[in-house]
Amino acid sequence: MNKRKRLVLTGLIMASFLFVVPVFGASSEPPASILIDSLSYLYNGVNFDHEQHLEVTNDCSVCHHHCFGNGAENEQCAKCHANSNGTSSVACGDCHIQKPFTVQHIREMEANPKRYHLDMVGLKAAYHLRCLNCHVEMDAPTGCVDCHERTDTGNQFYHSGDYAPIGGGAGKVHE
Amino acid sequence: MRRISRRGFFKVTAAGSSALAISSTKKAFGMKEFKGYPDSMGVLVDLTRCIGCRTCEAACNKEHGLPEPEIPFDDFSVFDQVFHDGKRKRRTSDSAYTVVNRYDDTSSGAPVYRKIQCNHCNEPACLTSCFVNAYTKTKEGAVIYNPDVCVGCRMCMVACPFRIPAYSYHSALHPQIIKCNFCYDTRLKKGKPPACVEACPQEALTFGHRKTLIKIAHERIRSDPDKYVDHVYGETEVGGTSWMYLSSVPFDQVGFDTSLQHHPILDNTKSFLGFVPMVLGIWPAMFMGFHLLSTRGKEETEKKVSENK
Repeated sequence: MNKRKRLVLTGLIMASFLFVVPVFGASSEPPASILIDSLSYLYNGVNFDHEQHLEVTNDCSVCHHHCFGNGAENEQCAKCHANSNGTSSVACGDCHIQKPFTVQHIREMEANPKRYHLDMVGLKAAYHLRCLNCHVEMDAPTGCVDCHERTDTGNQFYHSGDYAPIGGGAGKVHE
Repeated sequence: MRRISRRGFFKVTAAGSSALAISSTKKAFGMKEFKGYPDSMGVLVDLTRCIGCRTCEAACNKEHGLPEPEIPFDDFSVFDQVFHDGKRKRRTSDSAYTVVNRYDDTSSGAPVYRKIQCNHCNEPACLTSCFVNAYTKTKEGAVIYNPDVCVGCRMCMVACPFRIPAYSYHSALHPQIIKCNFCYDTRLKKGKPPACVEACPQEALTFGHRKTLIKIAHERIRSDPDKYVDHVYGETEVGGTSWMYLSSVPFDQVGFDTSLQHHPILDNTKSFLGFVPMVLGIWPAMFMGFHLLSTRGKEETEKKVSENK
């Protein structure tokens, strides 16, 4: 019973995080931290210290492009977005979708031949490309488990930890 | 002067027109080009994004139920493995459809990682070399293999310009060719991306229509010309492949064969092979015609000569 209660509570807390980003995106106060866990599978979620990263970059557009309406960091983007208005949401997952390679999404992207952003990465890549590239530049941690713990499923997947192959030559199958 | 009979005239005309037919057929066979299926899918591999995490290898292993690896997929010591006196890095095998290799001596200074697997050619050399038709190029772009008809000649292994097909030599009873199948049965034909693409954390692998990927690739080069080499490997190599590559360092520095021809391997033999059935079908009749023409009069004269004797 106790376990179930805890599960429900955890669920509620997790669900509440879904609303964290949009709420703060609309207001002027940036969130102190964000739990990034919508993609948790092989790895646990990341408790992202938003405040600390904001202190380091001191510029929202480094990660949020032009979404606040304060110009774009990238020259290429600035050509169109230097003076564009802020977007209705600044949450990564509202533009970078979780499954970028579904038939439906590919069709949607190709439906308008004049579409400029044909090459928009999905959410997982948006996180990793942004985080990792910067971490390499800033000499911050770059190992997978430096940011997120591997789950048991992850260990099974990588044949690592408790699931590591025993001794050499375990990979050979003989019939 | 010898008069040409009616029958003789027809013979000569027939022989002449068949000779013409041969030459025109040869031309037609030589010219025929296959530009790939219009809705073929593909994958664009961006080497600048790959971090060598080997998640694609693990995903492939899981998807296809391949044997347990000798060392874990999060063990990066595999990148130091070299074979043939250090000349060759890891290759695809009967227990791995795909492997990632690290190249340290590149002009960028930083290590560059490169994933290898079947490139799913538009006109695959493995397919054309197979005399039992074990290979199929599907309209979705995958090059798949049917072990039930394979006789194990391994000609495809010799024919592949990328050295991809492996063979399960360990199996005494049911040996077969083993190679990446673009997750055809489990994913591609259901409209899903391959397992490696879905697993990649960096989207170093972009899945989509081959036509669109070519556009995306050139757009990436155009918008960041300092970052990329101005070439999409696989756009034209061996007539085009479904898997294509972008790189920040010259392709030959990261294990790509840059000496490959830019038309299908099949083209080297196509015009000749197209000619063979014509030769077998028409030449016997044609030369028989010539023979009859040249000997017909002779027989009659020989008869007359012998009668006169």
